[in-house]
Amino acid sequence: MSVAEVESRALELEAPSGLWPEAWRRLRRNPGAIVGFALVLAFALAAAFAPLIAPFDPLEGALEGRRISASPSWDHPFGLDQQGRDQLSRVIFGARYSLLIGVVSVTVGLSFGLVLGGIAGYLGGIVDSIVMRLMDVMLSIPGLLLAIGVVAALGPGLKEIMIAVGITNVPIFARLLRGSILAQKENDFVLAARAVGVPRRTILASHILPNAISPVIVQGTLALATAIIDVAGLGFLGLGPQDPATPEWGTMLTDTTRFLQTAPYLAIIPGCAIVLSVLGFNLIGDGLREALDPKLRGRA
Amino acid sequence: MLRFVVRRLLLLVPILLGLSLLVFGWIRWLPGSPAIALLGERATPETVAQIERQYGLDRPIHVQYWRYLNNVARADFGDSIVTRRSVVTELREKFPATIELALAAMFVSVLLGIPLGFIAAKRYGGPLDHASLVASLLGISIPVFFLAIVLKYVFAVKLGWLPTVGRLSPLIPAEHPTKFYVLDAIVTGNGRAFLNSLKHLVLPAIALGSIPLAVIARITRAAVLDVMNEDYVRTARAKGIHPLLVDSRHVLRNALLPISTIIGLQTGLLLSGAVLTETVFAWPGLGTWLVGAIENRDYPVLQGGILFVAVVFVLVNLLVDISYAFINPRIRVS
Repeated sequence: MSVAEVESRALELEAPSGLWPEAWRRLRRNPGAIVGFALVLAFALAAAFAPLIAPFDPLEGALEGRRISASPSWDHPFGLDQQGRDQLSRVIFGARYSLLIGVVSVTVGLSFGLVLGGIAGYLGGIVDSIVMRLMDVMLSIPGLLLAIGVVAALGPGLKEIMIAVGITNVPIFARLLRGSILAQKENDFVLAARAVGVPRRTILASHILPNAISPVIVQGTLALATAIIDVAGLGFLGLGPQDPATPEWGTMLTDTTRFLQTAPYLAIIPGCAIVLSVLGFNLIGDGLREALDPKLRGRA
Repeated sequence: MLRFVVRRLLLLVPILLGLSLLVFGWIRWLPGSPAIALLGERATPETVAQIERQYGLDRPIHVQYWRYLNNVARADFGDSIVTRRSVVTELREKFPATIELALAAMFVSVLLGIPLGFIAAKRYGGPLDHASLVASLLGISIPVFFLAIVLKYVFAVKLGWLPTVGRLSPLIPAEHPTKFYVLDAIVTGNGRAFLNSLKHLVLPAIALGSIPLAVIARITRAAVLDVMNEDYVRTARAKGIHPLLVDSRHVLRNALLPISTIIGLQTGLLLSGAVLTETVFAWPGLGTWLVGAIENRDYPVLQGGILFVAVVFVLVNLLVDISYAFINPRIRVS
């Protein structure tokens, strides 16, 4: 037992609370983040239990003798779409697509980005230069256009837009983790670990990454928000699921500009679903950023 | 300063080469051969072989790339499959429309964003500050195309104040020497066309400007808050300089540094957003052109258009970097 440990026992010093418990404590006190969590939770529940919650089949339309394009009513609170399908049910099922697409595309971008950024940041030198120049090239095409290019190559579809949006996320995460690792590499505790002969891999895994990961988590949450917007945008342009019956929010908005005069709710309702889910992730992301900011640690 | 500019220009070379390689590789990555993509339904083994010979697709890949680079360097992006016109000619027609829209959007976002952020910072913690935070959060959470649809519904369809689609009413005779319709109207002294093209610009510009507006307001607020607590600002106030003068000369001028960078960084977002905004308002710019090209599988247009937009984006970022170094001497040294 070291002298310091003996002394701390004698003084009965409290162990310092870690970064994460403290961040969680601060996050719970942030009203914005709570609203964000509530919104995301609501959409996640809607997505998970869609078949139980939705009052009608999202694909069943006018063939069943129902009217088309009916305004909201008691039976159909969000109205019927141009094919006579219940909009409420479609919006609920749409949560499945939008959340799934968002999560998958961010995961794709995050994993490739982290591997590339981690390698570049830790190895440095020529590897770093090559990887980062490649990322620069990818970043030099505005996000949505890069995604459009990828979809044009792969062909439109659900899986394809997930890949496309994922690819636009790769350079963002690679850059972020690389920068974060470079900043951590020069820290005293890393130098100390190297001085006492801790292997490189252990240093990266247990000293650098845990400290470099918090900006990545914040960015990951905010990227979910952007991914939902981008996916909806691609869907709106008609590059999403090719079966127009698919209740994806962006795709639901595609044709609605033609019906603005007669049925504005067809555009407004799926649009509001997009806004609320994006807002939820943005609120959580902002809350996390504040909670994880080391400059604010130790304050209320 | 000159060394800084030269170094930034040299850094441009690998980026542009990488871009050309990416766009070149992309067309080869398409399912099937590019010849089939070019021919579409008219593809027979004979026509495919003919096209491959004509475009040199039967040559080794590095020869093809070299040829492609040469063509691009001479601003030759090939011909559109649909219209059979040269991609560059079409680009010249569409690009001014997008620039006009992007500039108008930027104008809206700077004109509203900076004062909004400034007032929020001055009233830090008050209801106005909270309101501006909520508004800017909403601003970045609303997809551009959805805001465009809502604006179009309220102001064009319901109230009928503004036109729903296009750049200029077809009933108004006008000449277009520069292809920037507002500028054209001024140059040719056409009052009716001027008013009408401005009216067409309002809604798309607000929709497209919404995200930059929110971002600029946020950054302005943060920057002003930072500067407001600086010693030199306190000194200036202590000396009894008029508060308005302190705000404009000491606070805002120094806060403009981070704001100016952010404004430059928004160009990419504007170009992306333009694709969606143009689709909603049937604005005949790069966006509708590219979306049309996807629908028609018009690969030369896509290839040329995306490369062109990327190069514009890279150049704008370069200009932002250089102008930032002009304003901030600390950057030049490092």
